[in-house]
Amino acid sequence: MSDYEVHELMVCRVAREVDESGVVVMGSFTPLAYAAYMLAKLTHAPDAYLAGFDAVGMAPVQLSFTGVEAAAYKGAACRWGMLTEINSIHLSNNGGVEAVSSAQFDGDAAINLSTIGPFEEPKVRLPGGAGAAEVIKMYRKMVAYFGSHNPRTLVEKVPFVTGTRWKIGDESREAAGLLPGPVVVVTNLAVLIRDEDERPFRIESLHPGVTAETVVEQTGFELEVPDDIPETTAPTDDELRLLREQIDPHGTVAFDFMPGKERMAYLDRILDAEWSAAERAIGR
Amino acid sequence: MANKVVELEELGTLVADGDRVALGGGWFANHPMAAVRQLVRDQRRDLEAITIVGSVDIDLLLAADSLRHVTFSMVTLEAFGLAPHFRQKIEAGEVSFTEMTGLGLLIGLEAQGRGVPFLPYRGPFGSDLPGHYPDQYAEVDCPFTGERLTATRAIQPDVAIVHALRADPEGNAQWDGTSAADVEMAKAAERVIITCEEVVDRDTIVANAHMTKVPGYYVDAVIEAPFGAHPCTHVPAYGLDAWRIKDYVAATAEGFDGYLDAIRGETEADYRKRVVGEDRMPVLRGLVDQARVLTPTDG
Repeated sequence: MSDYEVHELMVCRVAREVDESGVVVMGSFTPLAYAAYMLAKLTHAPDAYLAGFDAVGMAPVQLSFTGVEAAAYKGAACRWGMLTEINSIHLSNNGGVEAVSSAQFDGDAAINLSTIGPFEEPKVRLPGGAGAAEVIKMYRKMVAYFGSHNPRTLVEKVPFVTGTRWKIGDESREAAGLLPGPVVVVTNLAVLIRDEDERPFRIESLHPGVTAETVVEQTGFELEVPDDIPETTAPTDDELRLLREQIDPHGTVAFDFMPGKERMAYLDRILDAEWSAAERAIGR
Repeated sequence: MANKVVELEELGTLVADGDRVALGGGWFANHPMAAVRQLVRDQRRDLEAITIVGSVDIDLLLAADSLRHVTFSMVTLEAFGLAPHFRQKIEAGEVSFTEMTGLGLLIGLEAQGRGVPFLPYRGPFGSDLPGHYPDQYAEVDCPFTGERLTATRAIQPDVAIVHALRADPEGNAQWDGTSAADVEMAKAAERVIITCEEVVDRDTIVANAHMTKVPGYYVDAVIEAPFGAHPCTHVPAYGLDAWRIKDYVAATAEGFDGYLDAIRGETEADYRKRVVGEDRMPVLRGLVDQARVLTPTDG
């Protein structure tokens, strides 16, 4: 088996949640989620219906910071605008899967993308949730991913609820007019899942070398720890090759996992490569 | 045929201090940056900006002290970090804000465009945001089924500024890539300003009529602004000038006065020469050309 990085393991695990039912809504460019959608579309879910930016029915695309939006339109069957998208995908119960990340996340699958500190006088004003406040409750499956699994991010109760899954168990979801489906959390340590109202998140799998004790210690909310926890399925050689050579040859996904000091130099290298590709494209 | 074409330099006669200004585009796509720079040059004050997912557009107006209030569902520089002046000004209490849910904001604009005072929808149940804004959100029972729904109040901008690929002098405006909430903003606003990469004749519009998203009767002014979304994208004309976004962030660390002074001391044509750069323009277009679609056979 090949060596792989933890972000590659996370991409492959998120990709496994992507299926061919409903619309996969991608929103703006979030490299890890985008890589997962593309990998699914190139492997087990060729008929996954993707919507990214205002491009609907997208082909899989190569990731780049400067050109991914342009790529989204090149293979798309339809070009809409945001209002048509929310009316036709989210509010009409056609949302299949979306992978989201947030500053904080809690055991009820509520997210905070608004503020650290008091809402009106924030210590840190976060970007805001865009459509997440409404739509994370509407998807059949909610996938949340975090590059750093720690108790400041995965908290018992978010101090400010930007949005929430609202109803968790299949029956209460259906009674509220929502599509039934689980909440899956994929982190750099483990995979957590919750699908019942009265049962907390449980550890579904542990990444290689990670113990259940570490995961419990690094999680701010209650976790059920099954007796027998499998190891997270490793990426296959085929998946790794697709990721590294086709989907993300410049390494945009790894950028979010770079330590602070190396981030800017790493970004410069990616951008140099993208600039060179553009120069080649115009024959310079 | 009506000729609504004006120069960018006349924007100051169309946007007054204190106006509620809806700015088009979303994510890093398609923000009306040439118009934003002109508002900065004109030293507009006390504006209330409305954005769906804002970026350097909102951040630059905040840096220039042009805003008293910002209404948004998200403002971010994505991979390049939190929007620095958006953070600074709100954390320092120097600007007031309304953080809306994305759908609440879109449907509020839609309500205004339809001429109704609010619209109901299956809203952000469980979110803390609506409770902060009782003038914007309420709960309402369906008169037929009794279902409890969220009501979002109509949002009326004084003026919408949106950036299109092309428009004719009558204001019939076309998009090819991301249009975000541009259409809803145009339909909701009292006045509509279209900036565009190119003003074209009516025949060009007619030949591509399926791309017209804002018909001319909504439009008050048409402004030609090539690279008018720069450093943001305008697909398919050009990709993201990530290098100039990085410069923007770096300028913040140095106090940002130099960045603002440079913009205020030049015309938009000067900006295109100085910041976009004539030799760089083809490469920024090349970012679109090099963007790749993958097929399963690539595996």
